[in-house]
Amino acid sequence: MLDVRNLRKSYGDVPALRGVDLHVGEGEIVGLLGPNGAGKTTLVSIVAGLRKPDSGAVRIAGADPTKPATRRMVGLAPQELGIYASLTVRENLAVFAEMAGLRGRPLAGRIDEVAELLSLQALLDRPAQFLSGGEKRRVHTGMALVHRPRLLLLDEPTTGVDVSTRADLLAAVRGLGAEGAAICYSTHYLPEVEALGASVAIIDRGEIVARGPVADLIAQHGSSAIELRFDGAAPDVPAGWSGVVDGNLLRLASASPASDAGAALSLLGPDVGRLQSCELVRPNLETVFLSLTGRRYADDYPDESVVPAPAVPVTVTEVVGDVVAP
Amino acid sequence: MSWRRSAAIARLDLRVAKRDTGPLVFMIVMPLVVMAFVKPAFQFALAATHPGANGSEQAVPGMIVMFGFLAVGATGFTFFREHGWNTWDRLRASWATPAEIMLGKLATPLLLSVTQVVVLFGLGHVLYGLRVQGPLIALTVVSVALIACLLALALMLVAIARTVQQLNAAANIGGLIFAGFGGSLTPLSIMPHWVKTVAPATPGFWAMRGFRYVILDGQGLRATLPAVGVLLAFTVAFAIVAALRFRMAESKTSWA
Repeated sequence: MLDVRNLRKSYGDVPALRGVDLHVGEGEIVGLLGPNGAGKTTLVSIVAGLRKPDSGAVRIAGADPTKPATRRMVGLAPQELGIYASLTVRENLAVFAEMAGLRGRPLAGRIDEVAELLSLQALLDRPAQFLSGGEKRRVHTGMALVHRPRLLLLDEPTTGVDVSTRADLLAAVRGLGAEGAAICYSTHYLPEVEALGASVAIIDRGEIVARGPVADLIAQHGSSAIELRFDGAAPDVPAGWSGVVDGNLLRLASASPASDAGAALSLLGPDVGRLQSCELVRPNLETVFLSLTGRRYADDYPDESVVPAPAVPVTVTEVVGDVVAP
Repeated sequence: MSWRRSAAIARLDLRVAKRDTGPLVFMIVMPLVVMAFVKPAFQFALAATHPGANGSEQAVPGMIVMFGFLAVGATGFTFFREHGWNTWDRLRASWATPAEIMLGKLATPLLLSVTQVVVLFGLGHVLYGLRVQGPLIALTVVSVALIACLLALALMLVAIARTVQQLNAAANIGGLIFAGFGGSLTPLSIMPHWVKTVAPATPGFWAMRGFRYVILDGQGLRATLPAVGVLLAFTVAFAIVAALRFRMAESKTSWA
């Protein structure tokens, strides 16, 4: 459905995309994953026909995305919330449905369908300005899919929403994918991609650094570890272990961190008194990201993707993230 | 080109306008109030040439011209607010083509401008005793030319201005200049010579001349054609600048 080939785009001297290749098939949900500034929004904007690339090609069902006929296949929910605050939810949805040619009963029926999909039924006749942030975000997303697009571009659709809204949106996206829509879901929330059952395209500094199903990427690039954080500099890697020291952090590679944690602690000697936390890190997208980029995803989103390391007393925590094998 | 898609955008703007009637009140109530203050001055100025005139013959079209130009900012704001609401790119990514978007965005300002002219002439007759000596068709043609000129001017300002503050400044200053030089505020007959010399370079002057021929002098369509022609020439010039300068992809800064 979507084919992106060697896409390049710079803003002045600053490259935003450095040769992106991406294919999204019908019914496929692709989690476009990357930190702020990675190029996600630029990529989505070019695919939506809002920006022109410096070079490279985008094809949607084989056609040029800047052509009106092609744009009709696309639904875009930009990153910034874009709704008509003084209009009701129904009117917001109607604008884009009417532009898609819906009238009368089909129009009313489609608005009801979208409202049900996004749990907006009770809010349809309420002005958008009186909605909560999460409700506005659902309306914002509904405006993108009311015309049944074959390619849906959702640019960080859950930014700033509550848990309930996030669950609603993820369920809606899964449903649309099951109906055959190709979905490009840009996010920096790693757990969302796993929850969507999406395949992943990790974008970093304008390049797709990994592409494939989550399980495959974790198998190829993920790694498990024991992560020990100390009060002061971390001790050296114990003999017989592989690992790295990073400031007050000692990361020990382990195929079975839960089983190996006790042994690791017993090897610390007097340094165990300075231990602040012990975290068991399973292989997941966090570790994939770290492995591929050399950076922890949590460094970009410290409050969103990992459980923060607790202070004294010492605890053992199983976390979603961290550590690359040495 | 789909009229339905343009109509959808026009309905959207109309719904927004219905929720906030402030601009329409500004376009209707304000000129009616100011008419009351300038009417005596115009009556005095017209006494020598048109002894039977009560001043409304210039006060009413004068305020229509002045507040028409001042409302150019409101027309431009219908574009800028889309940027402030982050909906401009949504429109661009929608089924609508750029031409359909532009047509749809201009439809509601066009309707408001027509409403303004019709209501002000009507209330000018009821409240201030305005009597049109010439045929209504001639009055209509001048009004249409004026409205076309106002919309083209608004488009040009939207194309040029990057921020809503720039738009407002240009619309307000331009509106007052065009209205002042056209004789909307003060009869041109009592203005300094240099003002009379510069006045024909402004569309306000030609709008007022056209209205004067019809309302005060009782002349018909033929007499108004030069004024209508110049107004349309301004319209074309503004539209050309707008077409050359306007970029759908350009970001604008609104109040938001």
